[in-house]
Amino acid sequence: MTRKTLLTAATLATGFGVAGLGFAQGALAGEVLDRVMESKTLKVATDPAYPPQSSQKPDGSFEGFDIDVAREIAERLGAEVEFVTPAWDVITAGNWGTRWDVSVGSMTPTAQRAEVLDFPAVYYYTPASFFVHEDATYESVEDLNGKTVGVCAACTYEDYLRGNLTIDAEGVPPFEFLVDPGEIRTYDTDLNVMDDLRLGDGVRLDAGLSALPTVKGAIDSGYPLKVLGDPVFFEPLAVATDKGDADFDAKIANVVAEMHADGTLGELSEKWYGVDLTSTGAK
Amino acid sequence: MLDLLFEGWERPAIRRPFLFVLFFGLLFWLDLSAGLLGDGLLGIGPEEEPGPALALLARALPAALIAGFLILDFWLVSFLPLLWQIGVVWGQLLGGFVVFVYAFNLDIPYIVERLPIMIGTGAVLTIGVSAASIGFACMIALVGALARLSKSGPAYAISTFYISFFRGTPLLLQIFLIYLGLPQFGINLEAVPAGILALSLCYGAYLAEIFRAGIQGVPPGQAEASTSLGLSRSLTLRKVVLPQAMKLIVPPTGNQFIAMLKDSSLVSVMGVLELMYLARTQGRAGFRYFEMLITAAVIYWIISFCFELIQARIEKHYGKADKR
Repeated sequence: MTRKTLLTAATLATGFGVAGLGFAQGALAGEVLDRVMESKTLKVATDPAYPPQSSQKPDGSFEGFDIDVAREIAERLGAEVEFVTPAWDVITAGNWGTRWDVSVGSMTPTAQRAEVLDFPAVYYYTPASFFVHEDATYESVEDLNGKTVGVCAACTYEDYLRGNLTIDAEGVPPFEFLVDPGEIRTYDTDLNVMDDLRLGDGVRLDAGLSALPTVKGAIDSGYPLKVLGDPVFFEPLAVATDKGDADFDAKIANVVAEMHADGTLGELSEKWYGVDLTSTGAK
Repeated sequence: MLDLLFEGWERPAIRRPFLFVLFFGLLFWLDLSAGLLGDGLLGIGPEEEPGPALALLARALPAALIAGFLILDFWLVSFLPLLWQIGVVWGQLLGGFVVFVYAFNLDIPYIVERLPIMIGTGAVLTIGVSAASIGFACMIALVGALARLSKSGPAYAISTFYISFFRGTPLLLQIFLIYLGLPQFGINLEAVPAGILALSLCYGAYLAEIFRAGIQGVPPGQAEASTSLGLSRSLTLRKVVLPQAMKLIVPPTGNQFIAMLKDSSLVSVMGVLELMYLARTQGRAGFRYFEMLITAAVIYWIISFCFELIQARIEKHYGKADKR
């Protein structure tokens, strides 16, 4: 009886042990590059909820600055581009496996993200600005101290509001945390913030923080908003890859450097934003 | 107290004044807080600021009129044959919904331009994913329920563990586990199969409990009688117990299907272009969020309405035994 129970217990323990075995983390060196080169397809993750960076046309295809940059990168790698559209927090979680190879999604290379992702190349810089309802009477961003501010969840704007944003990239001007909000409300994306703010000044929110091009796009589409003050920081936006494949990262860095040098990126930026945002000098 | 309410309800002389007061109170309160009808009436009145008594009257009058109209409407409808009553009231409620939606001041051409992708891609994927998932979920549920009812220890344990885990954890988390967790073991499911797997497993757990209740709801005498007639155990299950259990299983299963139809929007986190996903991205492309959300809502509603009709037919089929 005892022996039988013991035997069973041993078998079970082995079973659990086997089940717990074999976890592989991240990509192996050269693995992603080989996959892209062999299949001649570059799978690019994009979140088409952010015009003019990435949005979806009525026929289901994608358009925007990020989309054009991704196409250009793929072309220079000699591969076809294929877009996949996972949720933003799935992209930033890392551990992509073979789901997609690269994210050209205007991602800020924060220290936290660098723990799970690699950022081989910064391709442009976007100014981040506070915005308020057009009826609001605030005069500077400091007036927002103690107010209710809305931001997208798990994005750099939330980190900024919470005072723990650290950007570790070259060429980024230093910034200060100018606003100490009374309450921070987080949303799925920036556009939810704008939808809540458009209800009126102080109805649900007093202000929001987002990328200046996104805010301007909303204002052009008839949102009753206005930009408050100067941009509070410039965020570098980078191509992201899953952690681990140095060969692939080097290749991407090369391609993006070329695109910076020959003016391709500047042209695309002019096309989608009306200004050249590929260096921090741009305002 | 409750008895008194029910008895009063039976008498029109009590019911109608009661309803009138109820409607009037609701509308009056709405108007006082939101100022919809009364403001309009005050606007067309004389220029000068109306006194408080006049202002109250301006709000009470439309409320009373509409409440009265509603009672009159109920009374008139009651003269129609039953089927007509249902049709007319549905029509009126639908009209109310249209008026509500109309108040958003929608950009109709924007919607029309995007209808092909909403239906051709979004609705097709939503229906496909939901239908496949409910099919697999039913299979899992049948096995799960039978295992839960069996006398085998491991079978009972596995089944209850499965049911407990998948009912007890959020569907979104299960989707993440399958989509992002399985590739760590080298299993790379595409987004759509991963979504179907997650939905099947999750709803299989709920359905297993529904199936178990259905099977247990068949009086034990039925199985005993068929055994005494010499039918084998599997034949008893297939020909005697299950057909009778179906009658109890179908309505809650239909409920689950409709719930799944909408829960299938959770698979959009993997980038599946289903209805809700398209509603979001298409709406954001032009900052016209409400247009696409309402379009998606109407499409969801139409799909689940069609399913309600199918469910009614299935119920009728399994309810044949009750016909007298």
